[in-house]
Amino acid sequence: MESLTKTILRSDELSCPSCVSNIESTLNNMDGIEQAKVHFNTGRIEVEHNTDTVSEQDLIEAIQNTGYEAKVSQF
Amino acid sequence: MNLLNQLKQKIRNPTSRKRLLLTVSGVFIVMGWFANWILNAPLMFNAMMITATLLAGYDIVSRAWQGLKNRHTNIELLVSIAAVGGLAIGVYWESAAVTFLFLLGGWLEARTLSKTRSTLKELIDMAPETAIVLEDGQQNEIPAREVQSGSLILVKPGGKIPVDGIVESGHTTVDESMVTGESMPAEKQEGDEVFAGTINRNGSIRLRATHSGGDTTLAKIIRRVEEAQEEKAPTQRFIERFATWYTPGIVVLSIGSFAFTQDLELALTLLVIGCPGALVISTPISIITGIGRAAKKGILIKGGEYLENAGKITALALDKTGTLTEGNPKVTNVLNFKSTAVSVGGTYEEESILATPKTFDKNGKESFSGEQQDILYWASIAESASEHPLADAILAATDNNSEIAEADRFTAHTGQGIEAEYQSNDILVGKPKFIKEQGVTVNGQVAKEIEKLAASGRTVVLVALNGELIGALGIMDTMRPDAPQMIEKLRDYGIERLLMITGDSPETAGYIAGGAGIDEVHARMLPEDKLEVVKKLQKEGYKVAMTGDGINDAPALAAADLGIAMAAAGTDVAIETADLALMSDDLMKIPEALSLSKKTLGNIRQNVVVALVTVTALLAGVFMGSVQMAGGMLIHELSVMAVILNGMRLRWA
Repeated sequence: MESLTKTILRSDELSCPSCVSNIESTLNNMDGIEQAKVHFNTGRIEVEHNTDTVSEQDLIEAIQNTGYEAKVSQF
Repeated sequence: MNLLNQLKQKIRNPTSRKRLLLTVSGVFIVMGWFANWILNAPLMFNAMMITATLLAGYDIVSRAWQGLKNRHTNIELLVSIAAVGGLAIGVYWESAAVTFLFLLGGWLEARTLSKTRSTLKELIDMAPETAIVLEDGQQNEIPAREVQSGSLILVKPGGKIPVDGIVESGHTTVDESMVTGESMPAEKQEGDEVFAGTINRNGSIRLRATHSGGDTTLAKIIRRVEEAQEEKAPTQRFIERFATWYTPGIVVLSIGSFAFTQDLELALTLLVIGCPGALVISTPISIITGIGRAAKKGILIKGGEYLENAGKITALALDKTGTLTEGNPKVTNVLNFKSTAVSVGGTYEEESILATPKTFDKNGKESFSGEQQDILYWASIAESASEHPLADAILAATDNNSEIAEADRFTAHTGQGIEAEYQSNDILVGKPKFIKEQGVTVNGQVAKEIEKLAASGRTVVLVALNGELIGALGIMDTMRPDAPQMIEKLRDYGIERLLMITGDSPETAGYIAGGAGIDEVHARMLPEDKLEVVKKLQKEGYKVAMTGDGINDAPALAAADLGIAMAAAGTDVAIETADLALMSDDLMKIPEALSLSKKTLGNIRQNVVVALVTVTALLAGVFMGSVQMAGGMLIHELSVMAVILNGMRLRWA
């Protein structure tokens, strides 16, 4: 059974709106990620993912690989 | 070994890697210039500069590659091409400077931007983590978001209130500034509503939880603010469209100019200035800061578009009830007609009717003299069973209103008045027309006094006892004391048309408008009339804002360029729907909100101008040959920083 969850991450490091598409496409191209949305203004990253294949840690690492630091957040 | 591990860790983490690359590359650049000037060793200079370029360029190239993999061409790609091209044609210093400055700029920008984003973080941190739940006399500390609605919560003095709820017992003052923006602490006792995230100052209270975690007013505010910050303002959308063709345009220009002039350095310099950095950041930076700042003051703005609208408002339509007035009617006059019947010395004294001596009791509440209380007493007996809004006003004005006797018999004539019997006394309370219809004579001097009272904007209620008129009550929703000050502020701010729209009678509306200093009054307005007024103003070219409670004003509020809701804390509908919601009931927040919006709008304009001027000047400079790669990058990064710092000024607006 698939278990989809929405995880919110926050990054303080988005300094140019062009980074948004970079992170977004990287996440969207990953297996197990349904949808990823990056909001430049607030630095909020919303990811809908299948927790069986993609963990929160995987998300953090994927974002790290594109060159940005992000943390999981409650809201 | 340990040191090596630490270094590995640093390289894995993007933030510290950037800092490390920056430092090392910077050191190489300095050493290069040292080698050139002091040692006069141009070969060493070149080697140092190439190393610096490669170090700083590593991060840039890897991001460009990331982008290419995802089929994006980004700014990093342009900078990479420029740097590699620079190395190829042998302008090593230029390449080093371009990569170093680009990395340094990005790092500085991220740092400053995260400061701007922190306004919201402060709000998020406001929410306490745990709550003390009282169960069978036991105190259990549990995570605040797991509190069930209906649980009894203990909040100690100095503690944060963990959930939204109603005070069950205890008495305290609460600092609600984070929710309402109101700096004066609010008194709270049994039955009062409290919000999560507010601070309990001095008393221990128990409260019944109503909402916890993501359902609390604080969480809703945070969500609202974030959505607002993310929603793009029209200016931002326009600029982003511009930016999407600006960068490719520059690339085409660069290729074209190379084909034309065969000047590779010129072509590469064009690439360097191809990033519309200052332009794309000019609007978001002001919007994030402006909306965040407003939220801290208890002003919720729905989004960038509304912020831009609020900054352009030229006409404001205010509803009367609840905005300009307190919202609950009070008895302001009691006319005593008994003196005509039991007149002193048997003569009729005109003055005794007119004089409504007002005294104030120890709570500062208006109180009435003994004879006036007598009239209120009889009126209260008749009204005590009524649910009419005016009944509350009459009861509130009567002394010892908890001991009012119940009528023996009671008939309500809806919208007209009340007939009641108490200990064989017949009481009639109601509109003048109703009282006359019941056969009570109202004539001569008395009738004139009643007319005079009605003309002053009061709702007149007559009281008759055993078929004889004993008095008249003047009831009115009184004006808020700070209304005139607000109107003055709004005029100073530059609102050209200030008007009152109300469903009330012209007399009442005129009286309040006069007191507040509004000269345009639209009274007896139905919801569709209000809509017409708003539309007419818009046709005349005004940008219209309107305050209202959102129910009968809904069509007009929707049509207005900006709909304002007051005292929105705790009312979800207002937080969700109003374009601009004021969390507290403070009138002065209206001019404050408009002025903050105007400042933000001004800030956006300054930023756009700075960005456009920079881009134009750089382009002109490149073609005139006075801007090289390094200088171009420096000016570009400086303009981005200027825009960010300018936006941050709004934090103190």
